[in-house]
Amino acid sequence: MSHETATPDDTTTRSLLGYPLRRIGLYLVLGAMAAFYLIPIETGLMTAITSPETYTGTHPYLPPLEPLIPGTGEFSLQPWGTAFEGLQSGLVNSLIMVIPATILSGLLGSMAAYGLTTISWRGQIGIYILFVAGIFIPYQAVLVPLTQFWYNVVPLRTLFEPIALTLPFVQEYHWKLVALTITHVAYGLPICTLLFRAHYKKLSDEMIEAARLDGASIYRIYRRIILPLSIPMFAVVFIYQFTQLWNDLLFALTIVQFGDAAVVTQELVGIGVSQSGTNFPLRMAAALLAALPTLLVYIVFGDKFAKGVAA
Amino acid sequence: MAELTLDGVTKVFTEDDGNEIVAVDEVSVDIQDGEFLVLVGPSGCGKSTTLRMVAGLESITSGEIRLAGNRINDKPPAERDIAMVFQSYALYPHMTVAENMSFGLEESTEMADDEISRIVDETTEMMGISDLRERKPADLSGGQQQRVALGRAIVRDPEAFLMDEPLSNLDAKLRATMRTELQRLQEELGVTTIYVTHDQTEAMTMGDRIAILDGGVLQQVGTPLECYHTPNNEFVAGFIGDPSMNFFEMDVDRNQLLGDLFEYPLTPAQQESVDEAREVTFGIRPEDIDIEVDGTVDSEFEFEVTVDVVEPRGDENTIHLTFDRDVDDPETFTATVSGLRQLQAGDAVVATFPPEAIHLFDVDSGAALHNRSLDVPEATEQLV
Repeated sequence: MSHETATPDDTTTRSLLGYPLRRIGLYLVLGAMAAFYLIPIETGLMTAITSPETYTGTHPYLPPLEPLIPGTGEFSLQPWGTAFEGLQSGLVNSLIMVIPATILSGLLGSMAAYGLTTISWRGQIGIYILFVAGIFIPYQAVLVPLTQFWYNVVPLRTLFEPIALTLPFVQEYHWKLVALTITHVAYGLPICTLLFRAHYKKLSDEMIEAARLDGASIYRIYRRIILPLSIPMFAVVFIYQFTQLWNDLLFALTIVQFGDAAVVTQELVGIGVSQSGTNFPLRMAAALLAALPTLLVYIVFGDKFAKGVAA
Repeated sequence: MAELTLDGVTKVFTEDDGNEIVAVDEVSVDIQDGEFLVLVGPSGCGKSTTLRMVAGLESITSGEIRLAGNRINDKPPAERDIAMVFQSYALYPHMTVAENMSFGLEESTEMADDEISRIVDETTEMMGISDLRERKPADLSGGQQQRVALGRAIVRDPEAFLMDEPLSNLDAKLRATMRTELQRLQEELGVTTIYVTHDQTEAMTMGDRIAILDGGVLQQVGTPLECYHTPNNEFVAGFIGDPSMNFFEMDVDRNQLLGDLFEYPLTPAQQESVDEAREVTFGIRPEDIDIEVDGTVDSEFEFEVTVDVVEPRGDENTIHLTFDRDVDDPETFTATVSGLRQLQAGDAVVATFPPEAIHLFDVDSGAALHNRSLDVPEATEQLV
């Protein structure tokens, strides 16, 4: 006995050009959302390749195609060159701060999660709750205490002086970057621990027990079993922390303040703004340049990120 | 290789609301050096908990565990010189087979790398997995993974093996093959082994002795045949044997048993075992019941019954019989006959319960009052 399969009745579905109306509507909405999201970036890109002299009065979202199309501005890569010069020291400082901070966040986060999840000991739930509470601390609430901490309480500046004198490439003002690194690691630790904990909870208990019976100590189990199995999660934490720390302005302004140790987000604040007006192409080029490293990190580690988040 | 003694081992779990759960209750077993002891029982009977206490993965509430005469209660798992095979194999997924097997030796001994390599090679040969040495666990079949897990335990050359239902995740055919292979291996290596399973077939075929647990309490420790023919109590009698023993509730009336479905005379020896009891549970194994198709009731041990369901198994037929088929939900008992005999539902047959094959159990405690005779059946005793 066969049943007739239900077939869609074309006469009752409204359609336009042969495509169902609902689908057209869906694509229109998606297209509008995509346009809304992408237009600022597209505008920025178009502005960044327009020469600053011919910029004023043009439509920002149109590509600069003079002299072919009048009123769009001349093409020029000059803003990028100027931007790079202006952001140079900021980029270096950001790198000096972000890379160690990200690596430390990952390592310490995984160790903390291991200790709180895979190993059982009395009172660990209390410590874990403290970590979770740490995620919810608003950065704005701790700005003043942090300034006090780094400038008046902890003598990091004086402690750092001998290091700056003895090692090459290390400047005195780098102590501020050290302070910023430590701050970011501390405040990033709760979320990193949480991410690793979610991953470690999924590890087989019996596998850890087998390792214990095999004679491995707590440290050896971490090094030989947990750490190699955490690589996907390291990618996730790395991308997350890199993006967070690279884009941070609040702590940078508070701890570093302006000067030699300024990071790229701080430099971005003032670039292209002068008494003669705002150099928009330069600002756009600088903004895109500053965003480039995070984009690169995502491209390189992106698929691992997707796998790690889905796992 | 050493004797393993469990002396009054008890495990009590305390829940958050203060409730105490006794998972293992005063279990005492003396396992001889090189013996294969099977710990068997239904789910939740405490066998895995007992095994984990021996391994050191659970703390012991009270009692003592001794390995080679030394108390190991407080020793961490790494120092007990015990190797364990888990139900899920618990292999290290990021390591190759060879690395999985070397891990234990690298972590618990000072052996040189080439020495470890040699031992791993020998063991992979023994397990028949030499060509899988560079593969990762994800690329292995269930049976192969299980061999690696076994190999990992063997490589350690421990004082004792602990196995927690290692064959449960395999398909039936592979399980049967691995059963014999495990037995052969254990005999060859001569290592004291505790093997936990819920499958009574595995228990019967593999163990030198079996220890049956129910609700954390040890029911009986003995050779498989001892537990089969002379069970300590009703639980053991019903647990061991497939299809399981038939039980009937009967009242005692001096020299006979009276029940709802039938009456049964007792021999003098059986009467003595029953003693003062007013009620007993009457037990008889399916394979001890004789079925005659066109027979007549010649003695008080024979009854007219009807076939309800026939389960053909090839070598045997399991027949479900009932005294009264007209009832909505007939009470049935099981008999086993040769696979060549053709019986159908609805057939009227005569079932014989030979008196030398019956078991009698106390109704309240379940303790065995009378077990079957182990002699070859002779002429029936004179009835008083």
